[in-house]
This record gives sequence, C-alpha cells and structure tokens, in this order.
Amino acid sequence: MPALARTSSVVLQDIHADVWHAHALSDAPLQVQPTGHTELDGQLPGGGWPWGALTEILQPTGVHSEWRLLLPALARCGQQVVLLVGTPHLPFAPALAAQGLQAQRLVCAQASNAVTRLWACEQALRCADVDAVLAWLPQARGDQLRRLQMAASEYNKLLFVMRPAAAQDDASPAVLRLHVQPQAPHQRPSSALPASPARATALPTFPEPVHDGLRLHLLKRRGPPLETPLHLQARTARLCMQLAASRSYALDCATTRA
Amino acid sequence: MPDDAATLVDSHAAWVWRALQFTPLVAQVEQSLVLEVSHSERLFGGRALLLQRLLCADAPALQGTAQGSSALLALARLWAAAPDAAIGTLPLHTLAAARPHLPTLQRLGCSTWGQLRALPRGGVARRFGAGLVDALDCAYGQRPELYPWLTLPDVFEAKLELSAAVESAAALLFGARRLLAQLLLWLRARQHGVLALELLWDLDARRSNARHTDAHHNGSAQGRMAVRTAQATQDMQHLQRLLGEQLAQVTLPAPVLYLHLRTLQTQRMGGESHSLLPDDVRKGDSLHQTLERMGARLGAEQVQCVQPQARHCPEQMQVWQPWTPQRSATPMQRVASDAMHTLPGDAALLPTWLLQQPQPLTLKQQCPQYHGPLTLLAGPQRVETGWLEGDVALRDYFVAHSAQAGLLWIYRERLAASGQKKTSTAHKLRWFLHGLFA
Repeated sequence: MPALARTSSVVLQDIHADVWHAHALSDAPLQVQPTGHTELDGQLPGGGWPWGALTEILQPTGVHSEWRLLLPALARCGQQVVLLVGTPHLPFAPALAAQGLQAQRLVCAQASNAVTRLWACEQALRCADVDAVLAWLPQARGDQLRRLQMAASEYNKLLFVMRPAAAQDDASPAVLRLHVQPQAPHQRPSSALPASPARATALPTFPEPVHDGLRLHLLKRRGPPLETPLHLQARTARLCMQLAASRSYALDCATTRA
Repeated sequence: MPDDAATLVDSHAAWVWRALQFTPLVAQVEQSLVLEVSHSERLFGGRALLLQRLLCADAPALQGTAQGSSALLALARLWAAAPDAAIGTLPLHTLAAARPHLPTLQRLGCSTWGQLRALPRGGVARRFGAGLVDALDCAYGQRPELYPWLTLPDVFEAKLELSAAVESAAALLFGARRLLAQLLLWLRARQHGVLALELLWDLDARRSNARHTDAHHNGSAQGRMAVRTAQATQDMQHLQRLLGEQLAQVTLPAPVLYLHLRTLQTQRMGGESHSLLPDDVRKGDSLHQTLERMGARLGAEQVQCVQPQARHCPEQMQVWQPWTPQRSATPMQRVASDAMHTLPGDAALLPTWLLQQPQPLTLKQQCPQYHGPLTLLAGPQRVETGWLEGDVALRDYFVAHSAQAGLLWIYRERLAASGQKKTSTAHKLRWFLHGLFA
C-alpha cells in the first residue's frame, strides 16, 4: 500500500505544472503583498494580499477591524496614495502614521450615495499614483463588484472592499473573501463590574486578560476551504505592552489591598 | 496633428494657429496666409517635409498653395493658378499694386510682369506712382518686404454658434468639444498649458425665463462656468471630462444659441520627458486629474486629505481638509516632510478610527455601557488642554474592551468634578466614546 500511495502522488505531480490540485493552495504566479501576519500569509495563495484583485472583507455591522488587519501591508505596499472611499468614521492619521502609513498618503473621498461611491472607487483604481483603494460599500451588488475587480486587475492595484457580514451568502467576484470579527471571549470575566458598594465610585477594576484577537474565516480563496478559523492578535507591540502593564499594575494593587 | 477639420470652429483662425507652429513669421495678405519658412525649414527636414506636415490630410480645407522666393511671387502664382510659372510670364492682374492701373496698362500693350518691368522705371513711377515700381522690385527680390506678422492673442477666446438651439446642459458638451479642439491649437502654438478656463453660453433672450438667477446664471441672459485644473495641461480629454461633470449639474432656464470659451489663466509649459524604460510607464491618469474629476462630481469638499497638527487634544491632532494640488508632493518630498514631522511619542497607543463627535455613553451601576458593559483595560491618560482657546477639555482617556466591538477609546469628563469638589458624590460622571482600535 505505501508503494502504491507513493506512485500515485508521483503521477499527480507529473501531470503538468499548470494543473492545480484542488487540495493544495494555488501556486499560479501571482503578485502579492505580504500581510504582515505570518499565520495569515501561510493560508493565502502566494503568501499575501493579491495585487490586481478584489479582496472582500466581511464584518458584523458596526464593527470595524480593518485597520489592524490591513495596516502592515498598506504601510509597506509603496509610497503612493492610499485612497479611502466612504469611510465609516474619521481615520485617525497620527495613529496610522505611527503604524507606518504616512498621513501624506491618505486621501479620503466621501460620497453620499452608493452609485457615486462605486464611481469614485473605479476612478481611484484608474489612477497611476494610487497604490491601494479601501472602499466601504455596504450596498454593492455582485455585478458592480465585478466591474471593480476588472478595473483592479487591469490597473494592478490593491483593492479591499469592506461589506457587512450579511452579504456572506451572496455570490461575489472577489478573489479572496474573509469574514472578520473580534474574537468572542471564552468566558466573560465576572469581575468586570465594581465588586463592592464601597468601591462604587472608584473605577471599574481591571479584570482578567481579555481576548482581544481577530477571528478570520477564509470564505473564498484559490485553494481548499479552510475548516478552522484563524486567530490573529494583530495589535501593535506598544499597545500590547501598555495593556499588559496596566493589568499587572491592577493586579499588584489588588493583592496589596487584600 | 490629430485635429479633425470638422471640429474646428473658425477655419481661418485655425489656419493661422496651425501655420504658427511651423514659423513665427505668418502674415495675412489679401485673404491669403503668407509663411516665411526659410529660417525654419531645416528644423522640419526640408521644405518638402514641412509642406507635407503643414498640408497633411487632416488640415482644414484650403483653396490652394503656391511657393515663391518672395511673398508677392507666391501670391501671384497662387492667383494665376500656375504653381511653376516663370516670373516674367505672370499676368499683371495677379499683382495687387497693378490692379488699379490694369486698363491703362492693357492699352499700353503691357499684360505680363516681364513687359511691365521692361518699361522705363522713371516713366512708370511718374505715370503710375512709386508703389507699383516698389512692388515689382519686392517681387523680384530687390527690395526687402515688410509685413504685419500675425501673433497669437494672449487670451484665447472663441465663439461658436450652435447649429440648433440646445435645451439640455449636457448637450452643450458637443459644442464645447469643438471649441476645445481650437484651444488645443492655440495652446500648442503658444507652448502653454491651461490652468483655468471659462465656458459661457448665451441664452435665447426671447424666452421669458432667460433672466434666471442661480449659481451659473446671473440674470443677464448669459450663463458662465469656470473650470480649474491643478497643473497646466494640454490634455483636452481631462478638460472635457471636467466640463462634462460640471455641465451635468447645470440646468438651463432657456435654450442656448451661442457658446464662448475663454482662457482665464495659462502657464508656460515645457515638453514632457519620456522614460526610455518601458517599466517606468505606469498605466492610468495622474493623481491630480483623478481627484479633480472626483471633486467635480462629489463636490470639492468631499475629497479630503489630512494635515497632522502638533496638538494635545485628540480631535485637533489632525485636520481633514479639501484636497489641493500643493499638498500632493512627489514621493521623495513626502518622505522628507514625513521625517520632519515628528509624531507624538504615544501615537502608537492612539486608536485608528476617531469618531466625528464623541458619543455619550450610558452608565449602569457606574459602569459605562456600549452594546453591553465595558471593561477598562488601561488608563487613565489625562488630557488637560484648550485653556488658552477658552475651550477647556479636561478628560481621562481609557482603553476599554467591549465584547462585541473590541477595543474602544473612551473618556470621562472631569470638568464637572473640578467645579463642584464638595458635592462630588452628587454629580454625574459623563463618559464618551471617542475612538475605535480597529
């Protein structure tokens, strides 16, 4: 039996270099931008965000985790403009600059209705001086996204489209689709509320470590479906240190008080 | 010359501007254009090649051409319709100076230039005036010729009568396109690029609502619209798109009969240097073209770029302002300016999204709520600022965790606490959500 298995695998590899086996990640030559997250790179075809393709990021309504996912790649993708179309809040430039995305590279286009947003997106993709386009398109349809995908591939841009998680079941022309949500805590720390009435006016106590990761479902990629979700921390080292320091300080206070 | 003859509005002006590309010495003599090319024909590879470029198929319609060593000779050959006739055999009616005296000269038996020249100079000058002798000398190249050389106007202004009254603003673009083609010739001849131009249209004054007032009409039966571009350009496609975007927002109160196009600001423009390497050529429009087009459709204040500020108050650390071309520096300048602008030391601890307005949070048992209770993870980070501007902000910032929304940046106002120290148990602590660690 082992001999048979070996021969069959040899035969599979010998078919042709261009034949893609469905159980393996596509290794077609693809220009990619490393995501900056090692675990994620390992699961993406080519090892990063694809250039000249539409990447769709689905998130629960009201939750926005796109910056921590995309910033490492955006910071390294070039020196040209990163164009934001229809941002849900104000991007905070000092924080983005601290993580490597210079403020001079940011241009923001706000449009009231869905059609002009799509138009602005397409114009941005057609611009030679733009590296990446980030678009928040909650109402986009599949055919409209297809148009963006064509423009991205023609002009070879990084294109990320943020959509609500409700669009998960719709067909999409995106080359890569991810569902991103903050990691749900395994159990809620019970000490989140002030413990005693005596300390009611004091601050709420600093609790047990909080699970502040991202849970990624790879909904679509050029490769086999990924059964288990990925967990990313995706926080800057500085913020992690600050949180850890605050927590140990709070614990120290608690022990001395006890 | 990619210009289409049919798109040109005024074929005479078009010919003048076209000719001025080949030589600066162009004059109009008796409804013909005279070009002095002896200085520039080497540049264009000889007279034959120059003529070929000047008269190539897409040039405006033309009656005929002729050459000669002097302008009068060329004109005479043109009128005689004999391009290669010898000087002596040219008929006298082709010489403008001789035309008033033609009957007399005919009766003298003098019908060609050669015969006139054979007459005694003194007698001819006394009988017909010195002008005729001088003109003949000029034609034979024995006297210098002087012409009022044509120059281009400093401001381009062209008018177009529309073939039919136009009712919709978007349809004005077809007329504007013809004017733009003429503008391109003017720009090329002057080696200028356009920065701002103005499109005017005359409304049909017989209509009662021609005296309409809005953003484009001031009640004088004429509408106007200005188009600006950040960098001097000869790219008519770009201008046409800008005009199209703006015309789409215009409503015409009455039909339009005439269009005018006028330049408001132009700038000298050098040639473009192309890269030898094919890789350096990036596909697509330039940034300023793209953003101008976006601004034309979305509104200029909707396309924004950010300016970091050295302030303590979080909402004043950055200013989002309408994009202007000065702010889009080249990548090298961007790197340089970025190195100069130092970030605050704790910028890495700031959230990546900032809310436009801090959102008040409800309290439950002294614990701020946002889709459920919040857990404070780090803080307080105390911000006391704005006392100089009179807009005092006394805040304690915390990093909080929400089970649904992840990490949040919230603050507690301390203004009330400092005001009423004694009754601090009674006052309410107000909490606000200000940022998201996305």
